[in-house]
Amino acid sequence: MLVTHLRRLATVLLESAIRIAPADTRDWGRAMRGELNHVEGHWAATAWALGGASVLAKRALAALLIPSRHGQGLPPGPGLFAKDVSVRNAVLITGGGCILGALLFFAAPPFRQALRVAISPWTRAFLNASDDQPRLVALARRAEQRRDAEGLAFCAVRLRNAGAGARLAQEAVGLDPNLLWVYAVVAVRHPGLREISEWIPLLERWDPQNALFPLITAESVDISHVDREDFNTQGGEKDPEWRSAMTAAFQSPKFDDYLDRVEELDRSVVPRYGFYDPEDVLFEEEDSLPTYTASGSRQFASSLIQSGEDLEAKGDRKGARDKYWAVAHFGQMIDSQGHTSVEHGAGTSLQAMAYKRLQALSRKEGSPSEAALFSYLTAKFDEPSQARGQLGGWIFGWDICKRNASVLLVAGLMMLIFSGLLVVTASILIAGSRRGAGPAAQTAKPAATLVAMISAVGLLLSSSALYLTYRPYWYIFQGAILNGDRTQARDLRAFLNSTQMLLRFHLVLSPDEQFRFWGGLTSLGIIGLILILLRHFRSRARTNGLQHSSRVP
Amino acid sequence: MKTPRISSETLLVLERFVERPTGWRYGYELSRETGLKSGTLYPILMRLEKHALLEARWLATEDGVPPRHTYRLTPNGLEFARVRLAEPRPDCLLQQPTLSRGLG
Repeated sequence: MLVTHLRRLATVLLESAIRIAPADTRDWGRAMRGELNHVEGHWAATAWALGGASVLAKRALAALLIPSRHGQGLPPGPGLFAKDVSVRNAVLITGGGCILGALLFFAAPPFRQALRVAISPWTRAFLNASDDQPRLVALARRAEQRRDAEGLAFCAVRLRNAGAGARLAQEAVGLDPNLLWVYAVVAVRHPGLREISEWIPLLERWDPQNALFPLITAESVDISHVDREDFNTQGGEKDPEWRSAMTAAFQSPKFDDYLDRVEELDRSVVPRYGFYDPEDVLFEEEDSLPTYTASGSRQFASSLIQSGEDLEAKGDRKGARDKYWAVAHFGQMIDSQGHTSVEHGAGTSLQAMAYKRLQALSRKEGSPSEAALFSYLTAKFDEPSQARGQLGGWIFGWDICKRNASVLLVAGLMMLIFSGLLVVTASILIAGSRRGAGPAAQTAKPAATLVAMISAVGLLLSSSALYLTYRPYWYIFQGAILNGDRTQARDLRAFLNSTQMLLRFHLVLSPDEQFRFWGGLTSLGIIGLILILLRHFRSRARTNGLQHSSRVP
Repeated sequence: MKTPRISSETLLVLERFVERPTGWRYGYELSRETGLKSGTLYPILMRLEKHALLEARWLATEDGVPPRHTYRLTPNGLEFARVRLAEPRPDCLLQQPTLSRGLG
């Protein structure tokens, strides 16, 4: 039944092709249509109709692309039976134009950056190099050769390798002591570093009022408990060193995570080295989440609130109020002076916690106006409001970033596939055009031409998709690097994050498993392709053999 | 002077015509005998006809069935085919003894 429908469909296709065919070819189309009634078997008839339709479509395309040639006689002489010149030229012009168009994209900087971003996840998936930062390591080497303190600092704050980051930070500070703040950024990223104990006293002398350093100390104390598997005191509650560090942090008058200095460094280093790599410049910045804001601060704030409640129970309302205000003040400081969404989130959460207690206390003290104010502040900084705040600030939104990331990855992969096919088919065509080319090379030429044509068109389309998808993000990146305008960087980060997440199955597969999965999938694809090609060429060879032997008298 | 290249498929078609030089042949018949698909056969027939090596005519059939196109070589086409078929084939084909005998 299905094959009957297929035959009908193919017949309709042939009749449509007759209608669009050039006038001098229509009779031939009708000839093929006439024969169709005599073809035995539905499959054979379907193949006949499709073959005829493809001939007519090619003629129509040739007439469309080279109208002047169409209808003119072919030049006599050697070209008589070699090939249909108009069709060959149409194929050459279309294919060449597409390849040229695709190559022209390389002149556009957004396209080059897009291609790097698109290929990077595939490279990581296939090379199992999820933690490597080869471009950043190369940049660090160049900065070391030039003895460029800023270049070294730029790499130090971004390297995932803690030891290498610490070494580069020390080199940078050795060359330029004004870059001492780099220690703080590296320490936040790698709180387990042994060098931190040497760095903190230096940092505290340099910027004595910053809450960041006692927070880093508290984090290091926490990590040392985990390293010693000392889970009884883990969490800091029982560790006087941790409590002392957190107390100092909550009493500090300012908070600076030095990310504005990192941005300033970017504006200086990125153009100097031409390091326009958004993955290494922007992506890592949010990746280095300061965990103290999320857990340690909240834990210490809870203990302060608890002690305030104890004081309240004892009737010491002033003491309780001081405890609550300490939490609110710290929350305000982190929220207003921090640069990351995690810092803002932690800050608002602490404020909500403190204002809620202050509201209850004011009510107890019989101060309704103060209670109303704290009620307003609690509502402002509570978690749903905070979530609403985080949703703001998008240009495209998370879903569009994810969709664009998928388009970019697929377009990049298709570009690679089409380029590979073009190289293979060009080799086949060159081999088939040489004198003394074997019958296999000759028979493969029509198929190779078709594949080359499709690949050229595909290359142009995938290049266009890649360029158009990435272009807005390129402008965001340029704005962030050259103008320091990071208001839209959230979209770029989400987009880059999505390109990595789509292939890596973070929640399901380990890096090794990802490598085996993608490697296995690719191997199966290649084996399948080889089997199809072998089968195709064997069947062609068998057909040729039958044809040749039929000539024997 | 360089000899014009003729594809092996064209030679196959010419060979079939030369077998019955005066007979009219249908496209489907040629396709079955040569093993060529319609997408390969018809461009060859079109080129042969364009260079007056082949003549074509419509043959009326029973009512309701579209007429059929039939073909045969012109005198020039026949001469051309005989000359071409007598020429040696590419080296790779001549390596097969049965084939070289058939071409002879």
